[in-house]
Amino acid sequence: MAEQNPAVVDTVELANVRKCYDDFVAVDDLSFRIKPATIYGLLGPNGAGKTSTLRMMIGITVPDSGRVLILGEPLSRAHTNRFGYLPEERGLYKKMKVLPHLVLLAQLKGLTSAEASKRAHAWCERFELTAWMDKKVEELSKGMQQKVQFIGAILHDPELIVMDEPFSGLDPASALALKDALLELAKNGKTILLSTHRMDQAERLCQSICLINHGRAVLEGDLDRIKATSGHCSVQIKYDGDASFLRESKLVQSSNDYGNYVEVRLAPGADTQELLRLACSKARVDRFEVMQPSLEEIFIEAVSKPHA
Amino acid sequence: MRNIWLIIKREYLERVRTTSFVVLTLLAPAIMTVVMILPAKLATMGEKTQHIVVVTSTPQFGEMVREQLSSADAEDDDTPASGAHAAKQKAVKQYVIDVDPNPTEAERAVLRDKVDSKAIDGYLWLSDDAIAAGKVTWASRNMAGFTDRSRLSQELSRTIAYARLSKSGVTADQAGLLLQPIKVQAVRIEHGQETKDSSGKKFMEVVVMVMLIYVAVLLYGISVMRSVLEEKNSRVLEVLLSSATSTELMIGKIFGVGAVGLTQIIVWVVMAGVFAMPALAMQPDLSQLIVPPGVLVAFAVFFLLGYLLFSTLYAAIGAITTTEQEGQQLQFVVVIPLVLSVFMLSTVMQAPDSPTVVWLSMVPFLAPVVMYARIVIQTPPLWQIALSVFLLIATIAGLLLLCSRIYRVGILIYGKRPNLPEILKWLKYAKS
Repeated sequence: MAEQNPAVVDTVELANVRKCYDDFVAVDDLSFRIKPATIYGLLGPNGAGKTSTLRMMIGITVPDSGRVLILGEPLSRAHTNRFGYLPEERGLYKKMKVLPHLVLLAQLKGLTSAEASKRAHAWCERFELTAWMDKKVEELSKGMQQKVQFIGAILHDPELIVMDEPFSGLDPASALALKDALLELAKNGKTILLSTHRMDQAERLCQSICLINHGRAVLEGDLDRIKATSGHCSVQIKYDGDASFLRESKLVQSSNDYGNYVEVRLAPGADTQELLRLACSKARVDRFEVMQPSLEEIFIEAVSKPHA
Repeated sequence: MRNIWLIIKREYLERVRTTSFVVLTLLAPAIMTVVMILPAKLATMGEKTQHIVVVTSTPQFGEMVREQLSSADAEDDDTPASGAHAAKQKAVKQYVIDVDPNPTEAERAVLRDKVDSKAIDGYLWLSDDAIAAGKVTWASRNMAGFTDRSRLSQELSRTIAYARLSKSGVTADQAGLLLQPIKVQAVRIEHGQETKDSSGKKFMEVVVMVMLIYVAVLLYGISVMRSVLEEKNSRVLEVLLSSATSTELMIGKIFGVGAVGLTQIIVWVVMAGVFAMPALAMQPDLSQLIVPPGVLVAFAVFFLLGYLLFSTLYAAIGAITTTEQEGQQLQFVVVIPLVLSVFMLSTVMQAPDSPTVVWLSMVPFLAPVVMYARIVIQTPPLWQIALSVFLLIATIAGLLLLCSRIYRVGILIYGKRPNLPEILKWLKYAKS
């Protein structure tokens, strides 16, 4: 695998980064590396320090201590045009028309007006915004504004695309289009940093993640490896009849009834087959599925774990 | 540089293209014209054809008074700057003068009733006794204004003197020579040459500057503040900061909005010029209106620098506040220096080279008005002008740097106005 190849320079490297506002520590001793052409997830609950981290990565703010390296060099203004940033708080000039706005954003990143306009047309078509290019931003729905904002962030074909909660507020169709666009960009060699508190999205898109809480990294690394080593095994069961098997404490540590099915977390060392036999003896089993731990569970477990 | 230019272009085009800009630019001169002309029109309307009765026992003398009062309007101009205007206004004022050769108490009562019933506007009581005593009475419904009264007494004195002289055998020509009024003309010595500039005109040159700075700063400084606030509140700032530095944004904003203001003012000046052309062509002495080129240059320099300085102050206010109301509460920071420099004008004009005034003209926040006024009145030493300009530019640059830092850190904190210690802390954060 390429991950051990020393010739490949990490797109981003954060080393022991720390940022405080007054007495509040927003980011504390955070380190991670993002490999080129991957989608990296920065996860964590609200207020964990995700946005503060992103701002330091693209040079809007400066860390109090620690280093930010971009393509192996210390972050500087020269890198600005190689970033595309979609902030969590969307911001567009409300009175400006869509096309001139996109052109302005791309021009600020060094594109010529003609080239920016050409690319804007292509992207607007892809996101079904062509009819809206002559409208003022304020006339667009929130979801459409967000698509405009996304296009504005990637129009200059940046090497590193930083997205803060890109899916929030999008309808399913738009979210799908955005997801496809992100995957395509990654396939074309772009590096994408995805900051989100939606674990399911990260789980589907990201190769590696960093899970932060209270400004500190809780889990970091390759997603598959994290899944393999963390969390408990769980089983989803859909049944009809006697539920007493769920209280068998030798096998079941806890269970959570979602209505359509019950999710069972097995006790340490318990065998799934034994649970299946027990369930069959008590009730009619329609579905029995052994689940890999979801990122959400891993996250909740990691966050709720008291750490000194 | 490219980024600054892009931001200037955006600010400028987005503003100039709005309907409100076009409407304001075209409509404001019309409104100004109405506001300025209407009161003058209204004031002169009531003064048309005043009906006056001159009461005197000698009808010949009454005729002389009538002649003098009717013709007096044509000659007198003490104030060159407003001369044209005043003459125009006076020309409208006409008298219908009757001579009543019957100065008795009974006649006086009749006249009193006539004034009361508005049959006439007033009467001039010139009985022999009153003339001998040197004190005559002008009676009307409303007290005559001060200027009207002094003019009246001037004209009457001349007429009476003329009558007395001719009575004692002096010919009309001789009497005219004796009574020819003498006028004092003020002449200023500059660079060893006499110039006819009156202090009135100098004052106008300064006042025009003060007015323009005031209007420009209040109209467009606020727009700078508003646009900074808009950017912060709509969160566009964070997107822009990922492409440009906060200093670039700040400079672009101030110059962009500033250019909008200049565009509007230039349009207004050109419009005023076009409309004033006919009136100017009628002006007999055009040299009255010519402003020396040095003053024009000084005007441009100090107007632009003053405008920049105060716009930057407004930008700083926008950077530390979160709503327009909050910003308006801090406006006094801008208004106080402006008002102060207006208050100082009379001192400056009386003693333009006193040490106090010299140092005041170095203070960047006062310099646009005070230094400019000094240049208009009496050209100060070049080094003083240079120092004042330098200090102005340095202050603008310093302020720009300062508020671009506040601006950058300000995005992290919404919803609360920072106090001074916090602002200082922000400046520390932004250091990089």
